[in-house]
Amino acid sequence: MSEQQEMVPQQQVDRELLERAQAGDLAAFEALVELHRDEVYGLALRMTRSDADAAEIAQETFLSAYQHLADFRGEAAFGSWVHRIAANHALMRLRHRSVVQEAEEELKGPEFTERDSLAEYPATDWSRRADEKVLDDELRRAIQQATDDLPEGYREVFLLKDVEGLSYEQISEITGDSVPAVKSRLHRARLALREAIDHFYSEK
Amino acid sequence: MFTCKESVDLLLKFLDGEMPEDEARHLEEHLEACPPCVDFLRTYKATPGLCRRALQAQMPQELAERLTQFLRQKCHK
Repeated sequence: MSEQQEMVPQQQVDRELLERAQAGDLAAFEALVELHRDEVYGLALRMTRSDADAAEIAQETFLSAYQHLADFRGEAAFGSWVHRIAANHALMRLRHRSVVQEAEEELKGPEFTERDSLAEYPATDWSRRADEKVLDDELRRAIQQATDDLPEGYREVFLLKDVEGLSYEQISEITGDSVPAVKSRLHRARLALREAIDHFYSEK
Repeated sequence: MFTCKESVDLLLKFLDGEMPEDEARHLEEHLEACPPCVDFLRTYKATPGLCRRALQAQMPQELAERLTQFLRQKCHK
């Protein structure tokens, strides 16, 4: 995948900047922040859905990264490290909010016949269109809405795994849920989002 | 042979490559005989990437500047 090929030079740049930052070069740390602030802010915004919270989480994340620079050994990528710090901060904030959990039954999934066959299936195989260069604005909004509509625990797991790229074990560690529970929530969330995208294409 | 419902329930495990060989074979047998499930699998597989693209966000310039100022103040102490 081209995404992975691009990661190698990025990680090399990160490593060089990190070494300078660990030696006390603040400009090098600022350069690292500049390279990773969109990802960190994006994660925080997606998780909390609040500009103000996302801005504060970005501040807390990079400050915490700076304070622990000496502990970072560089075995993992710097980007993954700050991602995990940001995910922890975002989840802590969400845990402090009084979130009304929606019933699990409200999650939409595919419909099956009495004999457990798929009652309806995609009229068009839109998976081919998923790679189109320009993403339709209406589709973008439909996906944002469908993600917002997921019950909190499902939304968190989906964002952390499928959008932020954390592993099941990392998510289990952060959320306190077991790996099988994380997988089950991810599957249900994906089914609900697939359904929403399917609905969008069938209405078109 | 699996039903469509059983097949759909196993898709995450299948795509993660964590399925025992005999179970994967049963699922593949179902997919070979069931075009709707093949389409379903394709769209299920495409969902994360499409969502990732739809949910991208950039930090507004003003917030980026505030972040830099904040870190300069805190890190110089």
